[in-house]
Amino acid sequence: MNSSPTIAVTGLHRGENPQPGSAVIRSLRRVYPELRIIGLCYDTLESGLYSEEDAPDAAFTLPYPSAGLEAFWDRLDAIREVERFDVLIPCLDAEMAPLVESPEKLRERGISACLPSWKAFEARDKSKLPDLCERTHCRTPQTVAVNDVSSMHQAAAGFGGSVFVKGRYYEAQLASTPAARESAYWHMLETWGAPVLVQERIEGEEYNVIGIGDGRGHILGSCAIRKMLRTSNGKGFGGMVVRDPQLDAVAQSLIAELRWNGPFELEFVKPDGPKAEYCLIEINPRFPAWCDFPSTLNCNLPAAAVELALGWQPREPLRHATPGKFFIRHAIDMTGDIRDLAALTTTGQLIRASEEPRAKGIEPQTTCSLKS
Amino acid sequence: MSFLPPPTLPKSRHVSPVIPVPPVTNATSFTFRTTTWQADGFGFDATSGEFFTASPTALVVMQCLAAKMTTAQILDRLTSTFDVPRRSAERDLESFLAELEGMGLGKS
Repeated sequence: MNSSPTIAVTGLHRGENPQPGSAVIRSLRRVYPELRIIGLCYDTLESGLYSEEDAPDAAFTLPYPSAGLEAFWDRLDAIREVERFDVLIPCLDAEMAPLVESPEKLRERGISACLPSWKAFEARDKSKLPDLCERTHCRTPQTVAVNDVSSMHQAAAGFGGSVFVKGRYYEAQLASTPAARESAYWHMLETWGAPVLVQERIEGEEYNVIGIGDGRGHILGSCAIRKMLRTSNGKGFGGMVVRDPQLDAVAQSLIAELRWNGPFELEFVKPDGPKAEYCLIEINPRFPAWCDFPSTLNCNLPAAAVELALGWQPREPLRHATPGKFFIRHAIDMTGDIRDLAALTTTGQLIRASEEPRAKGIEPQTTCSLKS
Repeated sequence: MSFLPPPTLPKSRHVSPVIPVPPVTNATSFTFRTTTWQADGFGFDATSGEFFTASPTALVVMQCLAAKMTTAQILDRLTSTFDVPRRSAERDLESFLAELEGMGLGKS
């Protein structure tokens, strides 16, 4: 390992469907401002590459998952010839499966990562949530995996017609008519592959819980929010911290059952009514795009993930965020330079010459110097 | 985004108190069920993350409920605080309590 570790982060685009990578970088720099961070991107226009505040120190392009696993590992090896990074924080759903399936490939390269076991990863798959929820006595909407249009219409009819059509890894569309369902089906199939999921629609408030599991059934730290603002495709654009013992208990029971290791996000809907129970919609096996918000409230989960991956003692206990604190996402325009874009496009890498720390403008927590 | 309709007591008119009535507590905020209400009528429920606004009359009713007052005591407080006939206050209170019940915030 390097005397001071280098961290690699993916998922750097913060467009209308923001990815988590830049928020992870921002959180890490709050406590480790000197940390060297490299960005691994699939597209040279990922917005986080050009940010003044949370851009990585260097960036490298990765082949799209469709290029295959061999191309992925070859490229990772080539990148490590230039930047021998020590920790990988994958932030995109589609890249999780190959990493979780073959953690030894990371280990043999000397790369640390906080990843769940394959068994846990599989058990939280959207198509297997009903089994998991039965074991943990947690409610979940009825979900059916389908591989053809006719089965989709049949499943939707059983759920009253108005359903969510969901991609295997990502994305969901509310579809109430046969035409809308069919259009959503083909879109999900083309984008995310088979099967496509048809999920019963449950109306209510949406709650998300972000946290880190220790792999032995405990949650090292977590923060729960109610989504206050949503984009047209249902992504949270604002959230309010809540503290509900019932929600904490449901989250604890799911993570204990899975013996989850590493970052997670649990998504729930709570129907209206005084006796309503939280209903699990999905479990994301990574940090969500809002993961820097709890870091501003002394619950820095990305920093804890790095400490866990490296086997460091945690800096300090992760605190519960105070209910009533909220975030609202704010889109801004950033200025890029054609030379950076050219470097990434032609050579697949961009290494910033600047000596100045890249933590400008980020409100620090108690900062730590890097350990060797 | 969801804002439940603010609890209000319809047809009640807020006027300066005719007879000074001591507050139920001296605190500037009070908790009714899981919602903490400020004196300005803003309420925040830390378990659900929802927030509300309440009219001055609704606030008095919830403050009374939090202090475990009976319906008759609440009516006494309303008629002594606001310029409202007892019969009208009784009707409004009944409707407001039903509204609270519907929101799962009724008397425990």
